[in-house]
Amino acid sequence: MNTDIQKVRNIGISAHIDSGKTTLTERILFMTRRIHRIHEVRGKDGVGATMDSMELEKERGITIASAATYCQWGDHEVNIIDTPGHVDFTIEVERALRVLDGAILVLCAVGGVQSQSITVDQQMKRYRVPCIAFVNKCDRSGADPFRVIAQLREKLHHNAVALQIPIGQEAGFEGVIDLISMKAVYFDGDYGDAVRIEAIPADLLDLAREKRDILIDAASIFSDELTDAVLEETEISERMLLAAVRTGTLKREITPVLMGSAYKNKGIQTLLDAVTRFLPSPMDVSNIAMDIDDPEKQIILSGKADDPLVALAFKLEDGHYGQLSYIRLYQGMLKKGDVAVNMRNRQKIKVGRIVRMHADQMEDVERISAGYIGAFFGIDCSSGDTFAAPGLNLSMTSMFVPEPVISLAIKPVNLQSEKNMTKALSRFTKEDPTFRAFTNEETNETIISGMGELHLEIYLERMKREYQSDIISGEPRVAYRETISARSEFDYTHKKQTGGSGQYGRISGYLEPAPDQDFIFENKVTGGSIPTQFIPACEKGFKACLEKGPYMKYPVTGIKIVINDGASHTVDSSDIAFQAAARGSFQQGYVKASPILLEPIMKVVVETPGEFQGNVMGSMNQRRGIIIGAHDVGYTTVIEARVPLAEMFGYATVLRSLTQGKAQFTMEFDAYKQVPKSVLDKLREKEEKKIKTGT
Amino acid sequence: MIKKQLILKDPLKFLNSSQKQIAATGGFGAVIARPGVGKTAFLVQIALRAMLTGKKVLHISVQDPVDKVNLWYIELFQKITASFPPDQQAGLWEELLTRRFIMTFETESFSFEKLQHRVTELKTQNVFVPDMIIIDGLTIDAAMYPKLNRLKSFAGENAINFWFSVGRHDREACDILDVADEFGDDFNVLFNQILWMVPEKTRILVKQYADRQTDEGDRPLVCLDPSTMLVQEENSISPE
Repeated sequence: MNTDIQKVRNIGISAHIDSGKTTLTERILFMTRRIHRIHEVRGKDGVGATMDSMELEKERGITIASAATYCQWGDHEVNIIDTPGHVDFTIEVERALRVLDGAILVLCAVGGVQSQSITVDQQMKRYRVPCIAFVNKCDRSGADPFRVIAQLREKLHHNAVALQIPIGQEAGFEGVIDLISMKAVYFDGDYGDAVRIEAIPADLLDLAREKRDILIDAASIFSDELTDAVLEETEISERMLLAAVRTGTLKREITPVLMGSAYKNKGIQTLLDAVTRFLPSPMDVSNIAMDIDDPEKQIILSGKADDPLVALAFKLEDGHYGQLSYIRLYQGMLKKGDVAVNMRNRQKIKVGRIVRMHADQMEDVERISAGYIGAFFGIDCSSGDTFAAPGLNLSMTSMFVPEPVISLAIKPVNLQSEKNMTKALSRFTKEDPTFRAFTNEETNETIISGMGELHLEIYLERMKREYQSDIISGEPRVAYRETISARSEFDYTHKKQTGGSGQYGRISGYLEPAPDQDFIFENKVTGGSIPTQFIPACEKGFKACLEKGPYMKYPVTGIKIVINDGASHTVDSSDIAFQAAARGSFQQGYVKASPILLEPIMKVVVETPGEFQGNVMGSMNQRRGIIIGAHDVGYTTVIEARVPLAEMFGYATVLRSLTQGKAQFTMEFDAYKQVPKSVLDKLREKEEKKIKTGT
Repeated sequence: MIKKQLILKDPLKFLNSSQKQIAATGGFGAVIARPGVGKTAFLVQIALRAMLTGKKVLHISVQDPVDKVNLWYIELFQKITASFPPDQQAGLWEELLTRRFIMTFETESFSFEKLQHRVTELKTQNVFVPDMIIIDGLTIDAAMYPKLNRLKSFAGENAINFWFSVGRHDREACDILDVADEFGDDFNVLFNQILWMVPEKTRILVKQYADRQTDEGDRPLVCLDPSTMLVQEENSISPE
């Protein structure tokens, strides 16, 4: 294990679906001799790419869970987190970014900056991850790396600068010209593993000079030495240029762009060189932890191995030997037999086996120190838990977790399946905070909810395969919500004084809409007309009503309740009486407050060849979608629309048949909007039918 | 309520009367100014006002991405409706969104044939049937006459009203007479409405060009406040 932290790189590979990032990772592992054969993502040999270790991932040719792996390049150690590209798994991407120091942004030389690249880029901005760009698929027809650079500048506002130019276009793509050393680099051999360096071909010399000047111009901002050299027109050394580009990259003010084709084994070695040259070591970035008692206070971690331990469990996996927790160390060292505290529940744990991961194969190690990524066994924790040395009171920044938008009822077929299902659900909910499971007490159904159809589908499949749990699943359901659209007053008396101990409570006040809030409760009662000890009971009573709105029986949000008067009885008033009064008040006020139903609206982006764009727009229109716009980029058209989630079920199949499988789409939650009247009536009808058939 | 008030106070009302006539035949309007004066802001306001009266607007931008165009609309809409309560604003915005369609092209991939094809497609799919098309960011010059004439007959057949931004990207100054000279005698025939934006110290005047011979062009129709880019109400026009 490398002990020089300056020579460690923790990097991620982020990209749009099908830009080839798993293929790229595979090639990197091959070039660094971590694997000895190349398996294609959808290869004929049936092995699948090494990083896609889950059976399901192999079958579908997509990467679901990000696996961590490490490899050596020269004297540098590179830890790679393979991140999923589908938008339903955004949480995995975000979590991975939290533990990275730098990233490779993979872009397709034909497709350029696609919608998913934009999402990923925003995430990188949020965590301030420095990145280099790799323009992949330069061998495809229609490839144009310089157009991609222009898009990086325009769409993502990156100060993107080419470090290379391609030799040969499209199918004739042979290698790259390195603009820093001004040499042509070819990749020979069956697997492109024999690098041949030659002088630049005469016909490309002018272009190379021109692009090099652009590079020097952009880099000179970050180095006085380089600026002087430019002004004095002296020789610009390779070292000077490298240092300046590195400074700019670390500040996120320059994005070096490299080129190649992972599938054709071209440009991988030069990309690895760039990773070690330009991306930060764990020492180059400062990581911030939060004080648990005072979340406002930020503590900068030293990153030194001699300081007390701070580590983050960023991913869990169910291994053959129990739970495997991936961790990133920010400070200190973790040795076998050490004691650490899980800051979430203050439980002390004793560290047993520590391993380093290579997809699903692992190596045992004695210790891991700050800046490294590893995993430990047999420790019960959730992802996102912070582990620290006893005595510390720190937590790594809490991560942003979006609310699920879609849910599904599931039912096991027999007892064995039920047991397995319970096990599976408890594992999945621990692994993935955007995946939730709960039991509907009325119907006794188990409900799972998540970020999209595919998201839930994958978990259902995993339950079947990994947990042998046979499950019948219902129709996916949209997470509707209720809210009110007007202010209304209530004045309600709860009275039950006939025999036995009586109940009495009166509450008056008003309800009003509180957009963008869940629930606000305000107590404006003066003069003790409702005694102070009963106020919490009132709040509790109101809160209980929010779970199931009186309007359509969906959860209520965006409401403010103010109470300003009431009455009590010296003997008969109690907590229970005021809770009941609150329920009554809510019912009374709610119907008058013009309740409305809200539905989740998704931002849908479809990329389609131009000839199908009419069909695609038509399909959006049929789905109550509002098309925001269409952007024409030569052969493809990018259509952006807002469509209700309820209408998007099964859209992947529809889109495939509309466009001969040539279009792809991404979808993410945008906002909650009111359900139009006509749709509302249909929903009502359905509900009524259900009640009729149910009884 | 909010809609009525906005329509009543519309400073661009003068366009409506003439627009009705030319819309039937598929009229062309041009907004002329040098770069940076505010052609896009003005065109977006023409679009917004049209949308308020129930017209459907297809906004074509040759250079800016969809998000940027959308931002123009959001900003100007918010400024126009700033005096109304937020929930009314939001309701109206939702309504207007259904009457707007943004289509953007990269400069090299744009052609009038493609545009006509797309519009026809939108119509046949019943996705969007525009009443007005705004074309922004395209360099329009006299060499385009034949193409523009073909487009005009297309506009007539489909009863679509076109607005163009006519900029002079190559020159700092932009004199209306120069432009008129370049286009020659057919200038007035091709464009039924020619508006010309002249920046002054504290405001941007919008003048109408009718004929080279007349002085009519000197009287400003409306003016824009350069800080908000909003079209001012008529009575605010007074000599500086």
